[in-house]
Amino acid sequence: MKNTRRDFLKASVLASGSLFIPTFLKGFDVGTHRLGKEQGKVLVIIQMSGGNDGLNACVPYRNDIYYQSRPTLAVKDSDVLKLNDEIGFNPVMEPMKALFDDGLVSVINNVGYPDPNRSHFRSMDIWQTASGAKEYLSTGWLGRYLDLTCKDCNPYHALEMDDTLSLSMKGVESSGFAVGNLAQLKKTTGSPFLKTVAHHHDHAHEENVAYLYRTMASTISSADYLYEQAKTFSTKTVYPGNKLGKTLKQVAELIIAGTDTRVYYVNFDGFDTHARQRGMQDNLLKQYALAMKAFTDDLRTHNLIDDTLVMTFSEFGRRVKQNASGGTDHGTANNMYLVGGGLKNPGVFNSGPNLLDLDNGDLKYEIDFRRVYATILKNWLGVKDGGVLGRKFELLDVV
Amino acid sequence: MIISPQLKIQHLFWRAGFGLSPKEFSIYHDWSIDKTVDHLMKASVNPEPFGQVKPAFQTREELRRLSEEEKKQLQKMNRNTLGKLSVSWLERMGDPNRPALIEKMTLFWHDHFASDSKLPHFSVKQQNTIRKHALGNFRDLVLAIAKDPMMIQYLNNQQNKKQRPNENFARELMELFTIGIGNYTENDIKEAARAFTGWTTNLRGEFVFRSNWHDYGLKTFMGKSGRFDGDQIIDIILERKETAQYIAGKIYRFFVNEKIDVSRVNDLADRFYRSNYDIGQLMAYIFKSDWFYSSENIGSKIKSPAELIGGMIRTLGLEFEDFRSLLFTQRALGQVLLKPPNVAGWPGGKAWIDNATLMVRLNLAGWLFDSTEVNFKLKEAPEMRSYNLKNRKIKATIDIEPIINAFSGYPENVLFAKLSGYLLQSGLVADASKLERFVSDESKEKFIASLVLRLMSLPEYQMC
Repeated sequence: MKNTRRDFLKASVLASGSLFIPTFLKGFDVGTHRLGKEQGKVLVIIQMSGGNDGLNACVPYRNDIYYQSRPTLAVKDSDVLKLNDEIGFNPVMEPMKALFDDGLVSVINNVGYPDPNRSHFRSMDIWQTASGAKEYLSTGWLGRYLDLTCKDCNPYHALEMDDTLSLSMKGVESSGFAVGNLAQLKKTTGSPFLKTVAHHHDHAHEENVAYLYRTMASTISSADYLYEQAKTFSTKTVYPGNKLGKTLKQVAELIIAGTDTRVYYVNFDGFDTHARQRGMQDNLLKQYALAMKAFTDDLRTHNLIDDTLVMTFSEFGRRVKQNASGGTDHGTANNMYLVGGGLKNPGVFNSGPNLLDLDNGDLKYEIDFRRVYATILKNWLGVKDGGVLGRKFELLDVV
Repeated sequence: MIISPQLKIQHLFWRAGFGLSPKEFSIYHDWSIDKTVDHLMKASVNPEPFGQVKPAFQTREELRRLSEEEKKQLQKMNRNTLGKLSVSWLERMGDPNRPALIEKMTLFWHDHFASDSKLPHFSVKQQNTIRKHALGNFRDLVLAIAKDPMMIQYLNNQQNKKQRPNENFARELMELFTIGIGNYTENDIKEAARAFTGWTTNLRGEFVFRSNWHDYGLKTFMGKSGRFDGDQIIDIILERKETAQYIAGKIYRFFVNEKIDVSRVNDLADRFYRSNYDIGQLMAYIFKSDWFYSSENIGSKIKSPAELIGGMIRTLGLEFEDFRSLLFTQRALGQVLLKPPNVAGWPGGKAWIDNATLMVRLNLAGWLFDSTEVNFKLKEAPEMRSYNLKNRKIKATIDIEPIINAFSGYPENVLFAKLSGYLLQSGLVADASKLERFVSDESKEKFIASLVLRLMSLPEYQMC
């Protein structure tokens, strides 16, 4: 841990040269796969921002402590959609239950990290950079993955469906590509002034100026390419009309059109439910389940579900006890959902939270989230996980 | 490449500040370097404080008495105050009537001693402390930071007690603030942490030494033994030449070039060490050195968002109707002042740039000149929610008159070269002949205004 942190900091302080790779990363033999192209695997990440209350999504419906801790907030056991004899989905996630029954879902319980941080900002940074709680990294885990495996890739090989790029997608040399609204981006990059400048300029001798011109040119060409790709295929599947539904529809259309993108990053906001949580969170979970069902159906229709993996996470869960405002406060460990046709052990992966053994009212983590990342990097994207994560994590038998 | 005296002066103003306003340009463009440096240094000694914010509550007891609703209101108020402070700092950077060097030095140290707080009076206090020592003595600065409430809270020195030492501050003190990695042992951290036990703060933002928490025992630190306290630990760290080396390197990367020139940094470190860590003396030496003005150093730095925005305010005399416009812009560009990402500060350099931030940068002048709808959405950030920064117009007024006054005396055939020389430190890379059709020829005034807009929309304008 010490060495990792030191080297990362060195990287953040000293990184200036064009070919800078943190030294500790050089020690790992990075796989030569280009974003899993051979397998054509696609990874979709859904980030539930705000701290999804996992206990009300995957309900420990036989646990008295759960019901005692949440007198007005708990999901009634009779309403729960049972996944096994311990936990079950919130009833609003009925479409997700159908996917579960088809063997397309893995629920991983008690995922977190040591010394959990309860600030949204900081905990999200930890998840996005794949750092420890006391390390500060300036690159994201997917950014480093691009740095190590994707020197010659197109900029849109990792796509964030938003106007701003998350830290998770930032590397030193390579970064993901942010596009919240394709038509809007096309309009911005299509400005006659921008195009003229991009096409008519001298060779820039200064390295940073050249870098800016390169980034500008690649943004324009990527916007053109993605805009065309989006027109290639228009799905018949009906998606929910909310933002997540629209975004996943766009992702599905790009995947089905054969777009040369291997990682899609989707933000899903609104999970900071300190007050009157039940209605708010239920609504979000319902949107999620409906959108996931439509997305999965779409890819099934096109025989692409086996090559697609959706990973859903949130920066933390909530505390076990409800608060005085009918909500929950920031917590720690949480569940994660994997959805797709390539799951090794679909179902409930491990036992649910132990509510008898809490850390000052919070769930204790059992699985470090970086084990999930490592597994996906190695087994799904086909790269050596240690090179991206800075050290080895024990893999999970999920994909 | 021939480097004109004007380019040198502009280089100095960009690196020691935020460029030149049109009026400053008219005044200083033919001054000698030595005279200008002396002038800038003199203007920045005894700086005005950043301000005063009264704490909303004095004691934990008062805080406990607040209802949930009152606490929420208080948090919201604090967030708003911090947002306004962040913006007001940018406006200072852009204010040609204020000395810029002190703002630039404070920005450097804010990034170096990166920390934040939800309490505005903590934030302001650290600002004032940094300003006081920014061009003074580095030892005084480090010691003041070690006693700074925001830093104490941020790096958990509040929990650093004899019975249970917390090493967080001691570690960052050496790793990031002074001597740098590789020059101390894990045991040095443990021993230093003991020396800082009992260095705490109260909620009013005052340093409180708690003698009953302090470890008065014998410590062995960097090969020396004694009953050290924090002051002496800092002295021992500063006796080591590596500290001068580390700080000189960081100053070089920020003010001169991201790429280190080893022999120059060694020379700077020598001087810094020999001067007993006199920051002002070091800065004056750098700014007066010939090599500072060599072609590889001019226009080679990607402006940080603060430099970009501060510079635009200075050049265009921008005034914003709503502080949230500038908060929005800061967030869209990836740097919110008074809220560094973590204790290591902003990564800087190319890390400022991705496809999204570059498009914002290239469109920013357009948003300001035309007050057009900003078609750019920020992500929801729970801890920033009360600002309501989603997708808004940037309402700002531009004062273009001073630029017109400064440049309309030139004949039309040289105006283009004059203006691009004024605005672009890296020189024009875009094909000038192709830019013509984007510039108004209705009148000289419109020509100048539209050309300024276009030049500010170029990748070259991102450089300083």
